Amino acid sequence: MTVSTVTASAFGADLLRYRRSASLWLLLLCAPVAARYMISETEGEGISIAVGGQLPVLTSPVFGIWLGIVVSTLVMPVVFIYLRAGPTRRQPWQLDETSPASRIAIALGRFGADAAIMMGVLIALSLAGLFLAWMKVTGPYQPGHILLLLWVVAGPTLLAVAAIRILFDAVPILRGALGDFLFFMLWMASIIVPSIAAENGSTFANNMASVGGAIRPLMESAPPGSESFAIGTSSLAPGRVELDPWAGIGAQGYLASRAGWVLLSLAIAALAGLVYRPHKSKARTQRFAWLDRLTLRRLLPGAAPSSQHATRAGLGIVPLVLAEMRLIASGSLFPLLAVGAAAIGLADDYRHAGSPAALLLLVFALSAHAGRTEARGLVALTATAPFHPLIRRMAFIVAGTVLSLAIAVPAMMVHGPLHVLELAFLTGAAASLAAIVLAWAARSPFVARITLLIGWYAYMAS
Amino acid sequence: MTLEARSLARSFGRKKVLEDVSATFPIGLTLLTGPSGAGKSTLLRLLATADKPNSGEIIWQGQPLPAARRALRQTLGYAPQAVDLPEDLTAREFGLHIASLKGLSRSDADAQFAGILEALGLLPDIDRRIQGYSGGMRRRLITAQALMGDPQVLTLDEPTAELDSESAAAVHGLVMERAATASVIMTTHLGEQLAPQAVQNLRIADGKAQPVG
Ligand SMILES: Nc1ncnc2c1ncn2[C@@H]1O[C@H](COP(=O)(O)OP(=O)(O)O)[C@@H](O)[C@H]1O
Ligand SMILES: [Mg+2]
Repeated sequence: MTVSTVTASAFGADLLRYRRSASLWLLLLCAPVAARYMISETEGEGISIAVGGQLPVLTSPVFGIWLGIVVSTLVMPVVFIYLRAGPTRRQPWQLDETSPASRIAIALGRFGADAAIMMGVLIALSLAGLFLAWMKVTGPYQPGHILLLLWVVAGPTLLAVAAIRILFDAVPILRGALGDFLFFMLWMASIIVPSIAAENGSTFANNMASVGGAIRPLMESAPPGSESFAIGTSSLAPGRVELDPWAGIGAQGYLASRAGWVLLSLAIAALAGLVYRPHKSKARTQRFAWLDRLTLRRLLPGAAPSSQHATRAGLGIVPLVLAEMRLIASGSLFPLLAVGAAAIGLADDYRHAGSPAALLLLVFALSAHAGRTEARGLVALTATAPFHPLIRRMAFIVAGTVLSLAIAVPAMMVHGPLHVLELAFLTGAAASLAAIVLAWAARSPFVARITLLIGWYAYMAS
Repeated sequence: MTLEARSLARSFGRKKVLEDVSATFPIGLTLLTGPSGAGKSTLLRLLATADKPNSGEIIWQGQPLPAARRALRQTLGYAPQAVDLPEDLTAREFGLHIASLKGLSRSDADAQFAGILEALGLLPDIDRRIQGYSGGMRRRLITAQALMGDPQVLTLDEPTAELDSESAAAVHGLVMERAATASVIMTTHLGEQLAPQAVQNLRIADGKAQPVG
């Protein structure tokens, strides 16, 4: 057996699965549509990049680097969610883990397929960028400049996302919620760390510290002495600033760091094969314990068929909400963390301390339970429960909201009820609703978790 | 060509599932029977290198397992109770991918896989996506991939669960064919049907394996 046939087979199988999935075509369609909103020229209409409060003059190179910067910052978590929750999420690990195939060969093949999808996204964005620039460009239309700058900034980032996905799939504890959280931390670090490191001058090492590589070219493109760089939305001052993206790309050690990230991505994918640890097969009884609790045990106490009717009649909405609350709060650490979040709520600025702390806990608890109940195959099972799935989902939202209010009780006593009540109610209800809808749409907890984490960050930081 | 288990023990948390299992698995069919939850699947996972014992040894051709694992995997067929099947691939594409992982040549594997699926009554569906497969079809597909490459050690976990008697008979036919030259280890609820053809019948109970009959 050669390594290359295994790699080719893993690559081919995953790529085929992507190609057959409607989600891929949706992603490739969404990318150019989103690109339209990635280059915004008026306040509040989309994503703008501003230097010293001013928008840049939209020359061809600026188009390229602008798109590259947006992909390397804001689009990064979106594609990570897609890879992780997408068509290749389920792998026949029960078989590949007992095969003689090299794990490195499998990891490289799967990385290749993910990388190909990322390059597809970049091609779709390139086409959109070329079109948008053609309509809006100031000065000469230079397609080559647009493509080169976009690919230098965004290409290595997307490869790195694919590599991280493969690495996180290889390590048991990172296959679940912890991996999502770690990626979220990495993503934030890739935005925050370079803006600090950027002060320290442009060296290869400093630039390698940033996966996204988005901040350096922006800073070095700006006229000397510029301050305040903003990506996203910000209030804009009139007038335009002239940027020189080629100077940004040409900053000392920057291009080398991008090449470095391409090689590092390959190395991370190979490392994933090296550190791969098999799945632990969970006992069926354990995995479905929550389901028994919710349905069978209540429905069939002592499994006596004659008592079925009596129990069924006794099942009201309130017990259902209580059951959902118990299931959301079923993690062994939940009580401890809830007490911690409630205690943080006693601190002065509830909006920026207690409320985000409680919400962060709920994000994990809600997405985990919503993901379990909406998982493929289980929907059919829960449908046999005495309640319509829609009623169960409503109960889930009520349960999440009540939990949010419960954690806020100490804060209400300290800060006065109204302000706290409003925040706890709104965040709890919104997070529960988003969790159940996203888990239902994606049939897994991944999408709900990361989306909610990003929402949580926006809530905390604003 | 022998597979041997020596004093295998496996527990999950405080629960001791296997306490002291010793057995040899000669060429021919070994049936694993016993009450549900006794540890049949657990033993099969250990033999198929999908799990590691807490203590004890598995010996393949005179060499103990971590060292002999690769050699065993090269000639192993394993049909676990459940597989996360790639729903969006066809049975043929799935089979060819597994064949590559096993190191089989694609053209040989293609012909052999089609032959196995034909014997199992799945040939008409070979180019259909797995998402359209019923529970019984999935079971047979999982058995079929295990048979590819004529493994010297074939481990099957309830291959006839969810099957009608006709399909179950087809599975038994292929299994007995393989048992002529390989160690086949199988758990099944249809133990009585196959017992006369088995070289041994191990009853798993109370953490131990006892030969029956
Ligand atoms: N990964 C696991 N974690 C915890 N308990 C397990 C695990 N796998 C099996 N068990 C337990 O081990 C016992 C034996 O399981 P199993 O081997 O599947 O039984 P059998 O196949 O004989 O029905 C069961 O009680 C089961 O709950
Ligand atoms: Mg079993």
